[in-house]
Order: sequence, then structure tokens, then C-alpha cells
Amino acid sequence: MQPLAFLRHTSAVLVAAALPSLVAGCGGDPTYVRGSQVEGLDDQAMSTGIDKRDIEQLLHENMKSLMASPLANGWAQAGDKPTLAIFPMINETSHHIEGQLQAVLSDEETFMVNSNLVTVVSRERQDQMIAEVERQQGGHFDPNHAAEYGRQLGAKYYITGKVYTADERAYGEHRVQYFMFMQVIETATSAVRWQNKATFTKALIRD
Amino acid sequence: MALLSALRRAAIGSALALALLSETGCAGHERRVKATLEALDRNAPEQAIAALDEELGVAKPEDVPAVQEDEALLLLDRASVQLARGQHKLSARDFGAADQGIEVLDLSTNAAADIGKYVFSDDSGPYKAPAYEKLLLNTLNLLNYLAMRDLGGARVEARRLATMQAYVKGQGDESALLGLGSYLAGLAFEKSGRREEALLHYDEALRFAQYRSLRDPLRTLTQGKKTRPGIDALVGEAGALAPLEETGEAEIIVVLGFGRVPQKMPVRIPIGMALALVARELTADQIAQANALVAQGAISFVNYPTLGPGRGGYEVPSFGLDGKPQALEQALDIEAQTREAWHKREGTIVLSAITRLLARGVAGAAVQGGTTAAINAASSGNDNRNKDGAAALGMLLGMATNLTLSVLDTPDTRSWSTLPARVAIGRVRVPAGKHKVKLSARGMARTFDVDVPAGGWAVLPYFILR
Repeated sequence: MQPLAFLRHTSAVLVAAALPSLVAGCGGDPTYVRGSQVEGLDDQAMSTGIDKRDIEQLLHENMKSLMASPLANGWAQAGDKPTLAIFPMINETSHHIEGQLQAVLSDEETFMVNSNLVTVVSRERQDQMIAEVERQQGGHFDPNHAAEYGRQLGAKYYITGKVYTADERAYGEHRVQYFMFMQVIETATSAVRWQNKATFTKALIRD
Repeated sequence: MALLSALRRAAIGSALALALLSETGCAGHERRVKATLEALDRNAPEQAIAALDEELGVAKPEDVPAVQEDEALLLLDRASVQLARGQHKLSARDFGAADQGIEVLDLSTNAAADIGKYVFSDDSGPYKAPAYEKLLLNTLNLLNYLAMRDLGGARVEARRLATMQAYVKGQGDESALLGLGSYLAGLAFEKSGRREEALLHYDEALRFAQYRSLRDPLRTLTQGKKTRPGIDALVGEAGALAPLEETGEAEIIVVLGFGRVPQKMPVRIPIGMALALVARELTADQIAQANALVAQGAISFVNYPTLGPGRGGYEVPSFGLDGKPQALEQALDIEAQTREAWHKREGTIVLSAITRLLARGVAGAAVQGGTTAAINAASSGNDNRNKDGAAALGMLLGMATNLTLSVLDTPDTRSWSTLPARVAIGRVRVPAGKHKVKLSARGMARTFDVDVPAGGWAVLPYFILR
């Protein structure tokens, strides 16, 4: 190797070794983008929490099951559009997904309103009534009092649900299995008239 | 001649530039949190937050940066300070972001970072949080949610803590139980009306320490019936105690964090002492290599991190209710956990510092030899001045290589710096209504005005991180 070439090579090695550490923490700036700008932006999982794709899947599975049930058929045949209250889903998971569960709830509400099979109790009225009943407990929804809320709202049925997780870490990986249980309950008798379980799994795995 | 002069100038330039870089290059993590810790010592948490925002590259505390490497650690620090400020929502948000970031970093393997750790610097690559930090993350966030009276959020953190405890236990780490986390998890389930889960977590907490403040709540939960050996032993023959709703009372729980855990500091120790520390870990070849470099005077000191002194470890905190002193008990000695975790890893850290030292020596010698040989081969065989020049130039480039690698070698001083040294807990039944709660430690005091309804409760965290 010629001296100059050797020196150039040596310098290149030194710089290559030095540069990554010297500029550590000075990575490229993040950029905000629109979903329409980046194809498949919603496809990739960003965490083990719930995202838009999961919400769509949950809603599709649950509503498909409800619409195919004898209960919905009965509603369609009777055509009397009974009153339905949609109560918050209880988060029994290891993730802070209250916001996402609210989104699922809103989507359900929209779906049920558009189905034209039932009369959906307005969320505002519902929240107001729950706040009054639970004034002593900070106004928060208490699933143990769901039947009482339903009666006070004059709802013939109410939808309620819970989400659980089986959360495990092992072999340097993390897997979260979600189980969403939903029910339609008849207020007067507390009888479960429809029930469904939807599941999906999110994980952080090694490539 | 002209060629050699040019080479010499280039080599001297490189060496000077690298020497300059050694003054301005990457600092260790301890420098990144220096302003924050100084602000906390002055009892100026807002300034501590501002210093962390600057390090995180964000304009205000409400902003969360992309978590790639050490941002997760700085977010943990910011979350602790926000907890100390009583900004529980911001603190919970930061803990959440750090939790997700640390998980990704923890599960990531990076060959380049691993090589870097052994050749360039101990803080190459992502931060791997020790077990006690992972457990404390969920523990302190649980406290945030309890302080906000968000039982749903508290239960989520309790489940996250349980998952992490199982994981840590599965890794063979006996520090999977920190007591305080299980205590607070039990509290979250108890106040949610979930008796069985509450008892499960309280039982776990009692395996860590005999929390006297749990006796009365357990008398209520068990109603005098035998449940689990640990719980039965604490309750003893005291019998059942009526629930708060029946007696018209309420409950106040205080959690007082004070002092600060020892920070990791870079130290230089003589190579002889370092070799003695890890002699059993080194191969005979490595010892011979190190001795040869010592004999040449090439190395005399090793840089590696160590734990500095803790702060406030012997403090006696106090809890007053409506002017009357109340009992506090130690919930957790975080400083002890920190030191224990450190002592387990110290040998490995010194060993990798010596490995890097040897790698630097070998790289410098290789560059020196290679340069001299190459120039000699290129120049006419009888020119002694050229040979002398080549040797000098080789030595200079060898030094430059060594210097480059030295510049890059910063001891890994990364750790969660804003944890309290100790945490105390107090729990009392009070008549429903208004109360004044005074908490103090480390020369600081705060009075809380609390209004609790019959059957109600309040959790009051107070952290003095100085």
C-alpha cells in the first residue's frame, strides 16, 4: 500500500470509528406526516397497545356477531326501535387504553344509530345521569350500578363490556393477548341477551 | 521529502484535532443531568424540569420527544421531578412514554452496540435498566394514579408491575419484589372493592417487610378470618375491624420519598488496582498483555463508573395530622437496592473497561507498525532520515488512534438519577371531613388540606429529591 493511500485508509477507519459516537444523539429530525402521504402508515404496529387497526377489527367482529344474533333479528322484525344505552367498557388490561376504548364506544354508537334498529341514548344525558348517581364517588362510571343507570335512563337494553389481557414477557420478547367481551343486557330482567368475545394479539418480538 | 512532510503535517493535525475533541466530545450521562440535580439541591424543581427539557430537546414539559436511546432515562428523571412537584398527570404521561421506550431498548440487541461496548465505550448502545428501576417505574406511576384517584389507571399499573415482577423473577433476579409496589397495588384493588386481588398483593408486600400500617386494613378485609400465613401473622388475634363505610370514617395514606439515590460517577483507578479487582475474570493472555502495556508506560489508569454518595439516607421524616404526630414506617430503601444492583455488575464493568484499554493499545500498536512499514517500503532503502521520519510518523498515528478511542471511551454513568433514597409510608383512619396533613423531610415541609367523605380515602405523595 502506498503511504498516502495507507494514511487515507487509516484516517477513514478512525473517522468511521469516531463519528457514530461523536454524533450520537444527533440523529435525523422526526417529521410529521399525513396518512395519505405514507402508504401503509396504519399497517405497522407501534406498540403493544390498541391502535386504529385493532379498533376496526374489534368493532367489525362484535357488530357482525350482534347483527347476526337472534336479538337483532327480533329488533328488526318488531321494528319498535327499543332504547339502548351504551356504557363504557371496563379496562382490565395491563395497558392504558381508555382513550382507545372510548373510540371503540363511539364507533359502536355510530354503528347502532345507523343500523336503525334501536334508539340510542345520548351520551351527554347518560354521562350527566351517571355523574349524579356517583356524586359521592367522583362521578365515575361503576359497572356494578349499570342496571340502575339503565333503569334511570329508561333504556330497555344496555351494552356493556370488558377488555382483559394475558400479558407475558419471556425469551426477550413481550406478548399481549387481548380479550374483549361484550354483552347486551335486558335492563328489567338483567338477562344477557347477546354476548361475544373478540380477540387479537400484539407483541414485541425480536427480528 | 515533500511527501513525508505532508504526511507529518496531516498526522500532527489529526492528533491535535483529536486532542481538541477529547475536550469537547461526548460527555458522560452524569453531565447531562448535572444541572437538574443541582436545581433539585437548591429546591428548584421547575429549573430541574427546564434543564431536562433542554436535554430532551423539547420546548416545554408538555412535549414528549421520540424515545430512541437515552431519552427514556431522561423521561424517567422528568417524571420523578413532576411527581415531586405534584404534577401527577404529566408525571404519569412521562412514565408511560419511558416505560414503552425502555421495553423496546431492553429487548433490542444491537451487534454494533455490543462491539462498541467492548472496543469504544461502555455507554455505546441503548440503556438497559436494572430490575429495580423497571419495578420502580410502575410503582411510582401507580402512586401517580392513586394520587389522582384514578383507580382504573392504578390497576393498569398494578398489572404492569405484576407482569414485570414475573419477568424479573423468571430471569433469576431475587429483587423481583420491592414491597412498596405490591403495597400500592393492594391499595388500588382494595379501594376498587376487589378484595381477593387486594389480599394477593398485600400478601406479596408482607413477604418483603412487615408493614404495620397494613394491620388495620387487613383486619377489615379478612374480617378476622384466616387467609394467608403472612397476613394472619400480622393480624394476629386482633380480630375484625368494621369497614370505613360503617364507622363513617375515611382513610389517609401518605407516601414520603426523600433524599436521592447515589449517582454513578466516572472514576480513574490505577490499572494495578483494576486488575486486582477482576483478576479472576481475565485470561492469562489478557493479564500478560495488560502487564506489557503497563511496563511500556502505555497505560496507567482505567476509567470506569462507580457509585457516588447517596443523599438523605439517615433522615427522619415526619407526618403530622391536625397537629398531632403520626407513625411513619419505611416502605423501601431504594439506595440499598441501587448499591446491591451495582455491586452485582461492578466486576463486569471494570472488566469491560480493561478490555477496551487493551483494544486501544493493540489498535495503536497496529497503526504505528503499519504506518512505519508502509513508509519504509515506499521510500529508498538507504535513507535513514526517511526511516526516522517514518518511525516518528508511525508513533504519531498510533497515538492518534489511541487518542481517538480514548476520546470515545466514556464510562457508562447512566442511571435513574432522580429516585428518592428512601420512601416512607403512613396510613391512618380519620373522621370524615376536613384535615390538615403536614409532611416534612430534608428541611422541607408541605401542608395538605384534605377533605374526605365517609368511606372515602386520599393518597398524598410528597417527594423531596435533595
